[in-house]
Amino acid sequence: MDKLVYTAASGLKAHLASQAAIANNMANASTTGFRADRVVFDRLSLQGSDFDTRTPASAEVVDADRKPGAIQQTGRSLDIAITGESWLAVQATDGSEAYTRRGDLQVAPSGVLQTGDGFPVIGSGGPITVPPAQSISISEDGKLSIVPLGGDARNPQVIDTLKLASPKGSETVKGTDNLLHVKGGGVLPSDLDAKLETGALEGSNVNMTQALVDMIENQRSYEVQANLMKSAKDMDESSASVMRLPS
Amino acid sequence: MGSAAMQIARTGIDAQDMRMRVISNNLANVNTTAYKKDRAAFETLAYQTVTAPGAPSTAESKYATGLNLGTGVRVQGTARIDTQGSFQQTNGSLDLALDGDGYFQVQMPGGTLGYTRAGNFSRSPEGLLVTSEGYQVQPGITIPENASGITIGTDGTVSAIVSGQTGSTQLGQIQVASFPNAGGLLNKGDNYLVETSASGAANLGVAGQDGRGNIRQGQLEGSNVNVVEELVDMIETQRAYEVNSKMISATDEMLKYVNQNI
Repeated sequence: MDKLVYTAASGLKAHLASQAAIANNMANASTTGFRADRVVFDRLSLQGSDFDTRTPASAEVVDADRKPGAIQQTGRSLDIAITGESWLAVQATDGSEAYTRRGDLQVAPSGVLQTGDGFPVIGSGGPITVPPAQSISISEDGKLSIVPLGGDARNPQVIDTLKLASPKGSETVKGTDNLLHVKGGGVLPSDLDAKLETGALEGSNVNMTQALVDMIENQRSYEVQANLMKSAKDMDESSASVMRLPS
Repeated sequence: MGSAAMQIARTGIDAQDMRMRVISNNLANVNTTAYKKDRAAFETLAYQTVTAPGAPSTAESKYATGLNLGTGVRVQGTARIDTQGSFQQTNGSLDLALDGDGYFQVQMPGGTLGYTRAGNFSRSPEGLLVTSEGYQVQPGITIPENASGITIGTDGTVSAIVSGQTGSTQLGQIQVASFPNAGGLLNKGDNYLVETSASGAANLGVAGQDGRGNIRQGQLEGSNVNVVEELVDMIETQRAYEVNSKMISATDEMLKYVNQNI
């Protein structure tokens, strides 16, 4: 049988995978601070004794889309939206420093300041712990201040500064934990010009229309691969019928 | 025939359905005294590494980028948005609103202490200050039967003119509870919250001090639900739901096409 059928099969497989990636973007259209995954197809060249004409496709998620999402006003004091290109430093599950745009912060029972998906927020010296306080507020430049229990409400104390990192000049990738990591390890430098908006959240940057168009395009392209497979089958059948002895 | 894309779109539909429940509960409580709106917090499900970056693509080369496929979304929790509701003038002498942070402490059935911002109190047949459900305000305030002209100060001092006495008599002081992390209070329904390990222990004190709000007599705190905002969220949720269902039918068509044409 002609090898064309395998090339078509690789295309079918890659298109199903990219359909899953598009579905995941769509499903996360309401996830705070989510960054859409971008999928591309790569030719997987096969070298060997044969001609170099068989180039099966494989799907790859190249990177997350870095466009900012829409900012929504929420009025909650621990909601922050980063207005520039900086990222908020958090501690990933393996203890390393990673970055997120998710700003729905909360104080865990242990006092650790964490994002809505449970990653501790990093300050000037590791994860930030908030002592019992009457009120907590975050300033525009990321300074975290509290009014301690029994303290004077007119005199808040700065306890730490959120680390806002600049990804400029460093190569970063989105990991399986939905956080941004520095490629090959390491940390990003602090961005001193970073600005926050408090009482607001940055939404997902999934563009629904784009996702719908991608979905339809992917669907049609999948059908083309299926047609290719059908052609391979037809060609194989006709060559078999030529070889058949007349009965 | 299983397809990842369909299952992922299903998680999207489930999560949007959950968000719709939160929105409809907010809208249903638009006139509930001192109701605090909830917000559904979305979280991505685990990503699966299909091709790891750096895995060999041929004997001599490696994949520069990998294929990490997400597996969808879920509603990881709801966050209560504790912003101040607007005040409504009622002129009821036992209608109290909290202007600022804090909660009234009441004794719920079974002896547990509940916390509420709904200050639509009344006098029980025994003369105690109770909530509309009949739960006693703690520490208890007793209002004599023949009391008139009840005045409650911004610091919670309750005084009234009791017949047979000249001038006003002080009956007690309503105290206000504050918490290290009020966001961790557990909602028990009927406007009541209870203490959890996340909220920390209640800190009872005088209204208007240490960050606690002032008490305003003759007013009630309205719900902080913004109807327009909820309607916009509702439309957004509905469209996101639709788009996820389109994904299911598109993937279905893909699989159908392959099944019928090969």
